[in-house]
Amino acid sequence: MRAPSRPLGAAIGAVLALSLSGCGSSAPEGTGQVKLTLWHNSADPAPLLEMYKKFEKQSGHKIELVSIPSDGFEDTTQTKWATGDRPDILEYHATVSGLLALNPAQNLRDLTGEAYIGRSGDLYRTAGSVDGKVYAAITGFPQVFGLYYNKKVFAAAGLTPPTNFTELAAACPKLKAAGVTPVFESGGSIWPVQILPILYLAGANQSNAYGKAIASHTSTLADPGSPFVSGLTAYAKLKADGCFNKDIVTAKFEDSMKALVTGEAAMVAQHSDMLPALLAAAGGDQKTVDETVGFAGLSSDKPLVTYAPGPIGTFYLPKTGDAAREKASLDFVRFMTGPAYAEYVTASKTFPVFKDVPDPQGVPAVLQDVKKAYDTGAVIAFNSDIPGMGGLAQLMSELIAGQKDPQKAATQLQGQVEQAAKAAGLPGW
Amino acid sequence: MVMRNRAAWLPWALPAIVLVTVFFVAPFLLNVRFAFSSWTSFRAEITWNGLENVRTLIDQDLLANAVTVTVLYAILCMAIQNTVSLSLALALQRTSGINTVFRSAFFLPTLVSPLAAGYIWRGLLAPDGAVNSFLGIEWAWLGEPSTALVTVAFIDAWKWSGLITLVYIAGLNGIPESLLESATVDGAGPWTRFRRVVFPLLAPALTFNVAVTLVGALSAYDVIAATTGGGPGDHTRALNVVMRQQWGQGFFGSASALGFTVTLLVIATAVPLVWWLRRREVTA
Repeated sequence: MRAPSRPLGAAIGAVLALSLSGCGSSAPEGTGQVKLTLWHNSADPAPLLEMYKKFEKQSGHKIELVSIPSDGFEDTTQTKWATGDRPDILEYHATVSGLLALNPAQNLRDLTGEAYIGRSGDLYRTAGSVDGKVYAAITGFPQVFGLYYNKKVFAAAGLTPPTNFTELAAACPKLKAAGVTPVFESGGSIWPVQILPILYLAGANQSNAYGKAIASHTSTLADPGSPFVSGLTAYAKLKADGCFNKDIVTAKFEDSMKALVTGEAAMVAQHSDMLPALLAAAGGDQKTVDETVGFAGLSSDKPLVTYAPGPIGTFYLPKTGDAAREKASLDFVRFMTGPAYAEYVTASKTFPVFKDVPDPQGVPAVLQDVKKAYDTGAVIAFNSDIPGMGGLAQLMSELIAGQKDPQKAATQLQGQVEQAAKAAGLPGW
Repeated sequence: MVMRNRAAWLPWALPAIVLVTVFFVAPFLLNVRFAFSSWTSFRAEITWNGLENVRTLIDQDLLANAVTVTVLYAILCMAIQNTVSLSLALALQRTSGINTVFRSAFFLPTLVSPLAAGYIWRGLLAPDGAVNSFLGIEWAWLGEPSTALVTVAFIDAWKWSGLITLVYIAGLNGIPESLLESATVDGAGPWTRFRRVVFPLLAPALTFNVAVTLVGALSAYDVIAATTGGGPGDHTRALNVVMRQQWGQGFFGSASALGFTVTLLVIATAVPLVWWLRRREVTA
């Protein structure tokens, strides 16, 4: 027997082992028709998908849909975007923070001056625009964040839905005593657990005051006793008081919808674009949803809903350098915001963003609740204008696991905001 | 004589060397600079910023935990997979009809997509899932800090043990029968035969399997992403999970620094490990 010493072999073996660790084009068809690539959210509802087909039919252009899963939508879009790959049309968030991460001045076409902007009221003052330039075409009603609640559960317990966090905390023991999970949280999907703290902050963010203070660096998230720290503290207290489901760490948001419809849980903090998921949880039975589920605003101290312009139906036109495709993609935006939009509103039974388009008939009861709450008192999500807030959901996971206290989580998130704000060259940083 | 051997060896190694150079070494050398750059999605300019990305990751409490989780996970995966696979290989060494069926059965998970495997196991291990129903308990295997990392390592072992078992079986079948017979004649029992003859002669298979399982787990992402997403808290947040999160937030320089950390970790682990394991290799 021999025992060889082979450093060269070891090095090659290591290199082999290392290798284990690493482990839109124009399509003119002779008539000016082109193929457009559209990166879209997999949660696009059927009426929106139908609009894409109508555009194809009317224009003769082809749309190649690239579906980005709604779970992890931001990460996946950013990852594709970072490779330098560009679609002709991008469906993405209209928030300023989402827009800044696309480096709009460099990568997106300026849509300022398009006719739909003047028909949208004040929408583009808080969304879809940076430095006075409009980059987005927003066709979807904003995502409205609030509390979905089970009407039957509340009626049986003799309670009314809470309108602030004090009432929410007070309702918990009574709902628990009735054998119901007071609030169902879905830490397994990660992103939903940031909604309750964002709702809490609506009270401090009227006229986007708090968001602007953080974005301009006149306040920080980690200031002692700041609204953000208070929001996280209120959340941690709800958890300590047993207000949440036992499987908070593993439950997915689909589970939360099911728990709400079946009455296993009394409340779920979610947004209005999740109505199709709610309907799916009810087996597609709209009547069950209307009879069972209501929607209400909630903040630290007032019955406010929080809104954020959502990704569904918000379109950007990345610069591609291909004149024919750029013309066709602008035609797409004009189609989506033009006369066909009224048909979309009617078919989708959502509320229009253009002043000259009437509300649809036959809107589901729960969506009427959403609109009513929105009209009564809506505040833009405090994080809409702050870049670098993408880590909030991950920090909430650590807060839930007891690894971080509210102050430490706020300090860490402030570091991420600083990192992004400096990179984005925001004034004040 | 040595030169002649080397000349004969090179043509056979050339395809592998070319592949590794083109698909690993060259991209690595071309991209390593991004780990030391200010690259973000927020602006077009990319400038050299030294160790700023590492400092940021340390300041945000991300790096130390990610390295610890990654190393722990790699050790767990390596230990579980090699223990299970060596046992299976000893049980299934003889080629027979029934053993072929079992070898195929244990190999099947290797063919399943890691993401699919993760999603299936996440369902099975849910608090109200099939595993808990069978055991008659209620436990969030993937949601409790005490069990999450070990559970994910077991899922990884389930996925890859079939392959590792085949390598051990090949190693076992390469041991001359005559040596074992001689040992038996000399009075060696089964345990002594294994310890003194089988295990030393199995060293090349052990080298390969330990290196592959350890290095594979150091670059873990898919199974973790599909099962825990890095949670609960940051208990399974391995380097590549943090890298994806940084990337998703547009911090490409920090993400590249994490990728570079994985590479350094692999080099720092794999080179000495393979060198040491090969030193103890013997031939019959």
